[in-house]
Amino acid sequence: MSAGKPGFRDVLRALADAGEVLRVPKPVDPRHVSGLTAQSKQATLFESIVGYPDWRLAGALLSTRRRLAVAMGCSERDIATRFEEGARHPIDARLVADAPCQEVVAEGDQVDLTSIPIPLMHVKDGGPYISATLVVSKDAQYGRNVGSYRLMYRTPRETGIDLVSPSDMRRYYQRALDQGRSLEIAVAVGVHPFEMLAASYKAPIDVDEFAIAGGLHGKPVELVRCRTVDLEVPADAEFVLEGELLPIGWTVDEGPFGEFSHITGEIKWNPVFRVKCITRRRDPIFYMLQMPWENDWLAAPVTEAAGLQALRVASVEPVAIRAPVGACGYWTLIASIRKRPGEGKNALLALLSVAEVKLAIVTDDDIDIYNPDDLDWALTFRVQADHDVLVISGARGKHIDPSVKAWAAGKGGLPTTAKLGIDATIPEGVPRAQYERLRYFAKDAVRLEDYL
Amino acid sequence: MSPLAARIMDTLRERPRHFAEIAELHLDVPWREFLKAWGEVRDSPRIGRQEYGLYVVKDP
Repeated sequence: MSAGKPGFRDVLRALADAGEVLRVPKPVDPRHVSGLTAQSKQATLFESIVGYPDWRLAGALLSTRRRLAVAMGCSERDIATRFEEGARHPIDARLVADAPCQEVVAEGDQVDLTSIPIPLMHVKDGGPYISATLVVSKDAQYGRNVGSYRLMYRTPRETGIDLVSPSDMRRYYQRALDQGRSLEIAVAVGVHPFEMLAASYKAPIDVDEFAIAGGLHGKPVELVRCRTVDLEVPADAEFVLEGELLPIGWTVDEGPFGEFSHITGEIKWNPVFRVKCITRRRDPIFYMLQMPWENDWLAAPVTEAAGLQALRVASVEPVAIRAPVGACGYWTLIASIRKRPGEGKNALLALLSVAEVKLAIVTDDDIDIYNPDDLDWALTFRVQADHDVLVISGARGKHIDPSVKAWAAGKGGLPTTAKLGIDATIPEGVPRAQYERLRYFAKDAVRLEDYL
Repeated sequence: MSPLAARIMDTLRERPRHFAEIAELHLDVPWREFLKAWGEVRDSPRIGRQEYGLYVVKDP
């Protein structure tokens, strides 16, 4: 570990120390890394890539909650609070002059995306994808923004980029487009998961995601100025693409891609990213975000932290929260609360305000929301459908949910969704004593082994 | 257009295909070489997309 904050390679080491990394020594073709990673119970580190002697490739680093917890340095149940605590105490990034990510620089005619081992991941993808991106952009009014957007290889100097969903960078691009100009962006790959989590976090538009990442680390993120665009990127990234989103709007085909919803998405209409410069380490590691689980586990703490925050803003006291991976860590929030009268509904309204969450369930604090049987019990005996179910129509939806029929929104259009809330707290007017769990007579006084 | 890019165009004239199908037909070609040729194909104004993302060569 360097004197500063830990980086991508430190996470790889921590995961290896925890027995969570499978090292693959034999040469592997980039067309096979995703298929091989899908067969591994551990994260993978391919130490030799056919045709790319300088490169290694790592995948599925965060494909389980345990791996994410190792990367974050906390227990699995503390992930949301760990994230929320860090995000609440941002630390400004600082600029450095020298950066590992700029040890090798290719500009102008030297730019060639085929020099990077971009993997072919899924059978219906529109091309090879760079999936683990940290994309930096800037707007004169709102400042710097950091997000994560997939890139589809098109030509040695161009990629597609998925900029359909509502985001701050989409707004920046629209503002540039309205002025007839391109939008400069820089794409860093191979950064610490805290930077990835901060990029996924729906921070207010004027909040710097690098400061949130600094809060998560407890130390500033070190940034270096890009070579050809007026932007800054994490100095310890494995490689960086600098360039611009062409002022053509949502007009060029991109996708499909194996989405974090576990299904193949639609072909989309998107802008094009033209690359002007590639910088990298001398011995870079390509980070392949293995869909869908790795994306899901990255989404979960961000969704959970946003849920905790929404509950606190609503003056509801949360006890536990969970964004289940079956709903991709994104579309469902389940929370237990210390309830006062009416707060089951208040909590639902708060949770359903989070991004594209379309199902929220709220329970009392005696329910273990990590135990599906306990949750079913609360849903069965504390819910009356005519009083405790809330349906909201016409809220903001997300394209990759087939049920929103995104195709009807047209090129660049945004779909809407309905939202469902279930208040599984003890109804007002029903005494808590009605829910006293059965207890066995003399259970603590007798021991089974004494009778065997 | 390079001979490899022309070959890829020929496979798309046979019928619309997903990218992975095209890649699978050229597994003997080094990935980097294939991607360069694919870049030439993508630059062609004749290349289009069908529903579900299939690549197709459009009529002139």
